[in-house]
Amino acid sequence: MTTAGKIVNNEIHLQSIHHQQTQPHQLHPPEHSDGEPETKKQEMPLDTSTYSLALLRLDGRRWNELRRIHAQINTQAAADGSSYLEMGNTKVLCTVTGPAEGRQAGQRGAKDNEAKVEVEIGFAGFSGLERRKRKSDKRTLEMQHTLSTAYSSLLLTHLYPHSTITLTLHILSQDGSMLAACINASTLALIDAGIPMSDYLVACTAASSATTSDSDNSDPLLDLNNLEEQELPFLTVGTLGRSDKVSVLICESRVRMERMESMLAVGIDGCKRMREILDGVVKEYGKRFS
Amino acid sequence: MPVTIRAPNLPTPQDALQRADASDEDMSDDDLPTAASGTSIVTPGETITSDPQWMRGHGTYVPPSTTTIVSTVAGHLHKTNKLLSVQALRARYSPEIGDLVVGRIVSVGTKKWSVDIAAPMLASLPLSAINLPGGILRRRTAVDELNIRTFFSEGDLLVAEVQSLHQDNTASLHTRSLKYGKLRNGLFTSLSGAGGGVLSRRGGVVRSKRQTFTLNTAAGEVDVVLGVNGYIFISAHAAKTGSGTADGKDVGITRLEEAVSETLYSSQNDDMTPAIMGEITRVSTLIRGLAAAGRRVDEDVIVKVYEGAVELEAEEKSLGIKGGEKGVGAVGVVEAVLERLELGG
Repeated sequence: MTTAGKIVNNEIHLQSIHHQQTQPHQLHPPEHSDGEPETKKQEMPLDTSTYSLALLRLDGRRWNELRRIHAQINTQAAADGSSYLEMGNTKVLCTVTGPAEGRQAGQRGAKDNEAKVEVEIGFAGFSGLERRKRKSDKRTLEMQHTLSTAYSSLLLTHLYPHSTITLTLHILSQDGSMLAACINASTLALIDAGIPMSDYLVACTAASSATTSDSDNSDPLLDLNNLEEQELPFLTVGTLGRSDKVSVLICESRVRMERMESMLAVGIDGCKRMREILDGVVKEYGKRFS
Repeated sequence: MPVTIRAPNLPTPQDALQRADASDEDMSDDDLPTAASGTSIVTPGETITSDPQWMRGHGTYVPPSTTTIVSTVAGHLHKTNKLLSVQALRARYSPEIGDLVVGRIVSVGTKKWSVDIAAPMLASLPLSAINLPGGILRRRTAVDELNIRTFFSEGDLLVAEVQSLHQDNTASLHTRSLKYGKLRNGLFTSLSGAGGGVLSRRGGVVRSKRQTFTLNTAAGEVDVVLGVNGYIFISAHAAKTGSGTADGKDVGITRLEEAVSETLYSSQNDDMTPAIMGEITRVSTLIRGLAAAGRRVDEDVIVKVYEGAVELEAEEKSLGIKGGEKGVGAVGVVEAVLERLELGG
């Protein structure tokens, strides 16, 4: 585990800053992601520098803590598979339809003898801070595409030729780590639907808390909430179960190359923890069938 | 010091259960296939065995350039000699030849119907595979092709048998028996994900000797059709001879078929008493409850649970309880009935 060593270094560094807290904090200018400039403009600059004082984040977590995760499987009896997942205040409902015959016989799966994975993401009007109509903008489309490609390679689609697997995600509440929550909810729903997959696909977000001045002393943060996501450069990483195989990696913000490795390492370790939690949910559900 | 990811601060009920789970596993080390079909399940990505003597079956996969067998679904492990397979807890129905299925017509083609039988692909029912009205087996004609909608039209329910399977696992159906055909006078229920799979399932509908049976209720007889695909139809019992008996007792076998065929493709429901409707709904609710509780759905269980439910209701009525202690919904009723049955016998 070379990655673990990196983080140990970081932690040591952090403790040293903790003692020599002399220099004034320079705020890193907020990173603007391309898709959604309108959300950022009214935001007050968030003082993430308080982190280095107490080593506690805005919601009282330490750098390597996940938020509370609550997951349920088989929430809707009529669906082929369904799940409900909460990661902190991010709440996602997922239903799976299929494998079923596609809507039109003409536009069957891209490859002729494999099932096609379709993803629909819907944002509830009340999910965000402001009530607004969120049509399928570019960001949603990208999320849908990410999920679709990830699951096309994860699921054993060759077992269901010519059919379509539809994932429908409803976002009931947004508080950061949207894509990660969608991935985790989808994995649970697909397991409930009994669709064969090579392993769990679980995801987590990780950020770098460094300010511009002390670039060496960056501390990676795990599982971001909305405020942290708007302030810090972050990435979403999805791995295959217990292994270190990265299946999804999305980074929409600009971040220094050196910080990438520690962000990834903490993200992957978060995914492992996430897998255990989701596996516990599935195992608990399985007891009903004993 | 390796990286430690802390657990969320507040221990949720889920976490507590999970810990209990973990301790269970320590107690009974049944990770190996030797202790298969215990109470624990395997989940996707879980290594079942790395011993090369085992062969992989359904629900498993061997990662490239390894000999380990890994589960791909969450379910119970089955062992057949040296073959390891995993039966998913819930999955779509996969058709097999000879299965009795309940289906719904999705679209009408020129010479065939497309039927939804809850399988990954729609099944086809060719015009040549149905009993045409007007006497015993006859050739289908161009007139029949033009009148295809008079037999089955979109949305009609039918009971059929899987005649053959194509390469991509699409099924062809047939209704060439008086047992099969259009369904009416009843209630359709779908048990999603609880249909028959490749292996025998613990809960839900399984392939059995009797998929259709008649249940005696206080309000009259009720026919139950358990489709292997998890679609279920419960209807008021139809007297098979119908108008044939009115003419006289000496109806020949050909006359009998003719008499039946008149009503064979009727889409008109007969009049039913509210009492029998009530009983049909009760049976439907109990079946849904059984499936939701992960129980097996077959004739014996349904008869037993139905009788138990009727008794329970009578008992509660006489005691003046208004179903206060029962759980919520269909599962609650079924669990109350099963608990009572276990106490009684």
